[in-house]
Amino acid sequence: MVDSVGVTAFITLTGFKFRKILFNTRVVAAVLVGVLVAGVMFYASTLDVVFSDSAFLLDVLVISFFLPVVTMFYGSSVIRDEIEDNSITLVITSPMSRWAAYLSYYVALLMAMLLLMFAILVGGFLAFYVPFGISRGSVSLLGNMLLLTFLGCTVYSALFLLVSVVLERSIYFGLFYAFIWEGFIGSIPGRISEVALKHYIRSIGSARMEFMEFATASGMVYSLYVLTVVLVVLLAVGIAVFRQKEFPG
Amino acid sequence: MNERVIGARQLSKWYGEVIGLNSFNMEVGKGITGIVGPNGAGKSTLFKLITGMIRPSYGELQVMGEVPWLNDRLSSRLGFCPDYDNLPDEATGGEFLSLAGGLHGMKGGVLRERISEVSGTVGMEHALHRKIGGYSKGMRQRIKIAASILHEPELLLLDEPLSGADPRARRALMEVIERLHREEGHDILVSSHVLFEVERMTSNVVLIYKGRAVASGDIYGIRELMDDHPHNILLEGTGMVEVAKRLLELEHTVSVGFHGSRECLRVSVKRPEEFFNRIPGIILESGGELREMYSTDDDLEAVFRYLVGGG
Repeated sequence: MVDSVGVTAFITLTGFKFRKILFNTRVVAAVLVGVLVAGVMFYASTLDVVFSDSAFLLDVLVISFFLPVVTMFYGSSVIRDEIEDNSITLVITSPMSRWAAYLSYYVALLMAMLLLMFAILVGGFLAFYVPFGISRGSVSLLGNMLLLTFLGCTVYSALFLLVSVVLERSIYFGLFYAFIWEGFIGSIPGRISEVALKHYIRSIGSARMEFMEFATASGMVYSLYVLTVVLVVLLAVGIAVFRQKEFPG
Repeated sequence: MNERVIGARQLSKWYGEVIGLNSFNMEVGKGITGIVGPNGAGKSTLFKLITGMIRPSYGELQVMGEVPWLNDRLSSRLGFCPDYDNLPDEATGGEFLSLAGGLHGMKGGVLRERISEVSGTVGMEHALHRKIGGYSKGMRQRIKIAASILHEPELLLLDEPLSGADPRARRALMEVIERLHREEGHDILVSSHVLFEVERMTSNVVLIYKGRAVASGDIYGIRELMDDHPHNILLEGTGMVEVAKRLLELEHTVSVGFHGSRECLRVSVKRPEEFFNRIPGIILESGGELREMYSTDDDLEAVFRYLVGGG
C-alpha cells in the first residue's frame, strides 16, 4: 500500500512512535550518558592532552561503546513492548501493510537514535573543544564522527528492531550483543573483530581520520558495502518475520 | 439467514497443545450478533482470526467474502475493539484517536471532524484532552469503541466491550452499541460471557463453548434454559446484610449468601434483568454502598454443559 492512505498511515505511525520513544522514562538514561560523555570530555580538556587524544576519547566513548549500547537499550524494546502491552493491535488490525508498519517503526527508531546520539556526540565535542579551542581540524573531526554515528545508528537500529520482533527477552540478547559481541569480540586485535559491525564503522573512520587508523582495517568502500548489505538483509528479514508473525495477545 | 457477513467452516486454531477453536462452524448475517460463552471458550480467538491477527491452523474463514489473514483491504472495512487493554497510557484520548484515524489514512479537518463526532457518540467529548492513564475502566472502553468506529467500518467487532465496566457504564455502553447499528448502520459482532447483557442488544446469538459453536439462532429458546439454571451475581460493598434481607424478599431470588466476607454477597436469581433493574433501589433503601457488581459465568457453564450433553 503506497497510495495516499498508506503515506498518511506511515507518517502518522512514525510520528507517534518517534514521540513515544523520545518522551519516555528511558530518556533519563540517555541524558545520563550525555552528561557522562560531556563530563569526561570536559575533564580531559583540563589535562595536558593533544588533539588526537580527544578524538580518541570521542571514538572510545561514543562510537565504540555508547552507540551500540544506547541503540540496544531503545531498539530492543520498540516493537517488543507493544507486543507485550498489546498496543500493537491497533497497528496490526489497521489497513496499513505490515511491511510499511515495520519500516515505520524503523524510521521512528532511527530518527530518535540520530537525535539522541548526535546530541551526545555534539555535547561531548563542545565540552572539550569550547575550552580547548575550536579549529578547522576539530570541525572536520565532528563531521566525520557524525557520519560514523549516522552509519552506526542506521545498522544497529535495524539489528535491534529485528531482535525486538524475534525474541521475547530481546534485552538479554541486546546486552550480550552490545557488550560481548561488539564490545569484546569487536575489540580483539586481528581479523576476528571483522564479525562485529563496529569493525566496519571504525574502518570507515580509519580511512577518513588519521588518529583512527588501525592495522586490520578494511577498505572504506568494502566497509560501506558490508554495512549496506547487512542493513538490507536485517530489514528484509525483519519485514518477513513481522509480516508472518501472529499476535495472539 | 440474510446476506452472509461471516462464514466459518471447520475452523480450528491451536496454540501448541492448547485448543483455541476446534472445528468451529458459524454463519453470521447482517445486524447485531452476540457471541456468548464462558471465559476461555474461544471468543477472543475467533475475533483475532476475523481481524487477521492470527491465522487458522485448519479450516476456512471468510469475512464479507474475503480471507482475513494479511488482507489490508478487508482491515479497512473492519473496526475492532479488543477485550484487553491496548491503550497507550501516556497519550491523550485525542492523540489516540488521531493515531487510529491516521492509520486508516484520515487526516486534517476530516479527521478532526470525525473525532468530534465519534467522541460525542460514545460520550467522551469532554475527556479527549486528558491522558488515557487517568481514564476509568468505562472511559477506556468508550475510547476503544470510538477508535474502532472512527473510519466508519462496515463490520464492527466488539470483544467483551462491557467487561469490567460498572453497572451504569454497562448500560450506557449497551445503548451506544444498539445506536451504532440502528442509527449508523454498522453490522456488529459483540461477545460477552453474560447472556442477558447480549439479550439486551440482540436476539441473534451464537453460543460458543470449549472452542465449538454449540448453538446459534434466536436467544429466547436459550433463555428458557437459563430459567432452569439461575444466574449468579457477586455484589461487593457495605451494608450487604441489609441488602441480602431485601433481596430474599424478591420473587425471583433463588438464594443469597456471603462470599468470603460480609462485604461480598453471592446472589442467585432467575430473572437477571429484573434483578439489575431493582438493585439500585435496594442499595439506596438499605443505606449501603455498592463498590462492584459482576456476573460469574457459572450459570452459563451449566447451560453449556447441558447443551453439549454433559449434565
